[in-house]
Formats: sequence, structure tokens, C-alpha cells
Amino acid sequence: MSTPARRRLMRDFKRLQEDPPTGVSGAPTDNNIMIWNAVIFGPHDTPFEDGTFKLTIEFTEEYPNKPPTVRFVSHMFHPNVYADGGICLDILQNRWSPTYDVSAILTSIQSLLSDPNPNSPANSMAAQLYKENRREYEKRVKACVEQSFID
Amino acid sequence: MGDEGENVPANESNDSVVNQDELILAQQRQIEKEISESIPLVGELDSVTSLCKEYSTDDVYLEKIKDLASKYSHVRRTRPDGNCFFRAFSYAILEKLLCDKDSFNTFYKLAENSKNILVELGFQQFTVEDFYETYMEVLKRLSDIDNLDDAKKELHIIFNEQGYSDYMVVYLRLLTSAQLQKEKDFYSCFIEGHRTVVDFCHQEVEPMYKESDHIHIMAACSALNTGVRVLYMDRGVGSSVTQHDLPEGCSPSVHLLYRPGHYDILYP
Repeated sequence: MSTPARRRLMRDFKRLQEDPPTGVSGAPTDNNIMIWNAVIFGPHDTPFEDGTFKLTIEFTEEYPNKPPTVRFVSHMFHPNVYADGGICLDILQNRWSPTYDVSAILTSIQSLLSDPNPNSPANSMAAQLYKENRREYEKRVKACVEQSFID
Repeated sequence: MGDEGENVPANESNDSVVNQDELILAQQRQIEKEISESIPLVGELDSVTSLCKEYSTDDVYLEKIKDLASKYSHVRRTRPDGNCFFRAFSYAILEKLLCDKDSFNTFYKLAENSKNILVELGFQQFTVEDFYETYMEVLKRLSDIDNLDDAKKELHIIFNEQGYSDYMVVYLRLLTSAQLQKEKDFYSCFIEGHRTVVDFCHQEVEPMYKESDHIHIMAACSALNTGVRVLYMDRGVGSSVTQHDLPEGCSPSVHLLYRPGHYDILYP
């Protein structure tokens, strides 16, 4: 059945294929366009470099009027990522706009990896290390990067 | 980002940080669900005096409803979901245009050109098209119906279908945002705090469910080249409702009732 959400997700997918942003990819799962798998490659010149981080994106019929639920499947050590993989990012919560699409979501998460916001921590340990002990922070992140090869 | 940047002790483990964002969102969803199950997106016509039921023990409001009833016969309620102004305004203006083919056609042409204006302002063509196409599809469907009563019925059906109704709201939000950005020197005086007009649009105009203020109404009127009369009914002193025309001095084509935090449509 075609609903506005499903129609829009087909468009999002088409755009992602025709005009793929650097360092991210995503596609609907085989039998359900409302659930996507995505991958974000760790941005260069950050401790996340070389990592391949997997995510799931779950849409409701209210998309694009409401944001999808995005979660890291790969283990992450990042000030704004919860232990369950949930992401604390304004555009996925109170600053969502229907003009964002999957491509915009993934590139925003990608830049969150480069620029964490330690003042709004979802992982207090990561936030504290990021602010006070950058070496240890990078060590913990590198461990995630290596883990991401195995996942 | 989360609102509270709490200072968590260093020894606290990561697992103890509850995903607050999701808890808040879950609660919001529950409230929205209760509202959406009890109030339609756009309701049927009711007499203005039916408002009395909501204020049976409130003399200030009862007096003001009496005053309102001397100026308007009917009210059409909209769902209080933060989109009420945009939904009410869209509905009311289209309902009015249905009675006047020429004005409808002028409006249709204005709408047809609007996508280019949005794209020129830097809105992402790809996502704008999705809303634009739905908006034009609705206008087309309405203009194809010759009988006025049938057209009004169709309008009512469309605005109560969540998918269409919300897309109509989104598109008007985008047009309003575009208007604010086109005349940003003027509108920047009305924005509180240190936000730029563009930030304001991203945070308060384009996102769904964000409530509207004067500035939204002014820009929406200007974008659709029309005027609105807002009747303010609150607990302020006096026994009469206050009215404001936006823009000032216009001959309003849409009449809205404002009660703190909410807009409904009024009919003379």
C-alpha cells in the first residue's frame, strides 16, 4: 500500500542512490521499507577514522512529519550516544524538520562524530574524557573502531 | 541536544544514564495520541454559543462568548497539536476561495510558482517537491469539482486525512519560512533573543507541531497575499473580545478565534 511515508521513503532511497553523500550509505531492509540499515564511515582526521559503524533507522507512518528512530548497532563510545545505541542529536528530536531526508540525517550523524557536544552527554564517561583526557578518549574510540571491523 | 547538561560524577557507569530523550518522546507521543483520538484535525461547524460548554463556570469567558456571538455565528474547531494556526488558516482560505473561481485561479498560479521561490532561497529541491506536488494535487482536485457543496465536502475530507492534511501544513510552513527569509530585515526586529531569521525559521517555523505567533501569521498572510482577522478571547479585563487585523488595515478573508495557545476558524 502506498502511503505518504512510503512514497517519500522511496524518494529518499532514490536520492541516496543517485546522489550519494561521501562516507555514508543506507538502504531499506529486504521486506520492509520502514526499516533501513545504514553505515557511517568514521570521518577522516578524527579518532573514528577507518571505522565502519552500522545503524538502523526505523520510520513510522508519520515520517517525514516526525523524525525516525536512529540507533547505532555497532558499539560506540561517544558523548552523545547512549549505551543502547540511541543518539542525542537535536535534529532527531525537537529540531526535526520535514525537509530533512535520510541523506541529511546520516550526514548530520557523521558530523556529530567529528564534533561531539560534551555539554549534553548521553554517555557521561565519554563526555568527561572528551573534555578532560582527550588521549584516553581517543584510545576508547579506537577500540570501537577496531570492534567495528568484527561486528 | 538534551536540555539538561547535568554534572555526572566521574565514577558513574555509562549504563546508568537513562535515555532521557526517548522517555520524553514516549510521553509526548502518549499525550498526542490521547488528543488525536478525541479531537478531529478539522471539526464540523458548531454554533459559537457551543463554546459556552467549555466554560460553564467561568463568567469572564461566558461574557466574551456572548460578545463573540454577536459578531460570528459559527466556529470550526481544529486539533490543538501545535499546527492549529497553519491548518485552520489553510482550510479557511481554501474554503473561501472555493466560492470565487477567479480568486481561486489567481491563488493556484501563485502556488504554482511558489516552488521556484523556495528552491531559489536554498530549500532542498528534492524534499520541497514532495510537499509541493501534494499541495498542487489537492488544489487540482478541488478545482476540478464544479459543485460548491461537493468541493467543500472534499476539502473537509482531505483536511481530515492525516497524510494530506499534514502535507498542507508543511507546505504552508515552508512558504511562511520563505516569506520571513525574503524580508528578513523587516522580520528580524520581531524575533526575541539573538537568533537570526534563518535560525528562527529552522527552529520555530519549519518543524511541525511548533506553535505560531504573530510573526508566523504576518508572514503566512504575506506569502498567500491575504489578510486575516484574529479575535482574541482570554481572561483579560473587559467583557468584549479584542480583534486584530493582520496585516493592519486589510480586508480580511479569514477569521480566526484565538484562545491562549490555540486557533479555531470563525464564520460571520
